Amino acid sequence: MEDLIDELTRGNVTEVKVILASVVLALAVYQVALAAVSYGKVRLRFLGSGPATWAHRAAGDTILVIAVLVAIACISYYGWEEGGAHAVFGTLLLGALALKVLTVRIGGSSSPLLPWIGVALLALFAATWLTSAGDFLGVGG
Amino acid sequence: MSRRTELMQIAGSLLVALALAAAAIWVVTDHFGPTSTAALEAREDRIDARLDAREDLRKDREDAREERGGDSGGNSGPG
Repeated sequence: MEDLIDELTRGNVTEVKVILASVVLALAVYQVALAAVSYGKVRLRFLGSGPATWAHRAAGDTILVIAVLVAIACISYYGWEEGGAHAVFGTLLLGALALKVLTVRIGGSSSPLLPWIGVALLALFAATWLTSAGDFLGVGG
Repeated sequence: MSRRTELMQIAGSLLVALALAAAAIWVVTDHFGPTSTAALEAREDRIDARLDAREDLRKDREDAREERGGDSGGNSGPG
């Protein structure tokens, strides 16, 4: 697995991971804006609730796929041992993602838990990014 | 809202998502600097050329110094 990841990224595992994680974070912030329009908290003339919901789901599916790919690369290439806070946030993030998928499947899109899980997901995406990609880019301090 | 308007709004929202993804990629890769093989090779070539030029200059100076030293040695020696 390690060799496959190395080959796919041409030896730039960290760089590819940082780019994908940054894309995911940008999309996660956009997801919150779409959700606000979808729930009617923000009303825009150029975007209705229905299309916002549809786009939110499409972007969410994309985020899920990329996040899982990054997690697989991260765990199989770097392991858990030296992960520290990043490993903790990453594990919580995967759990929250699984919880959100389950909530949508079981409770439907009108479940009152969804907004809370969504906000928690954004916070976990930000924390996971800051403790890895942010550090790498000199943003995390 | 008509079906056509809805489709336009969905397409617009997805285009914004694509633009955000592209912007994130652009910002991060810009932070990394040149990563293409051609750009890295060109940079290495420039560094090599600069080092060669510096080495040549150093050799020229040494030769000139030796020449001067040799000349003065010949003149002032007990010979």
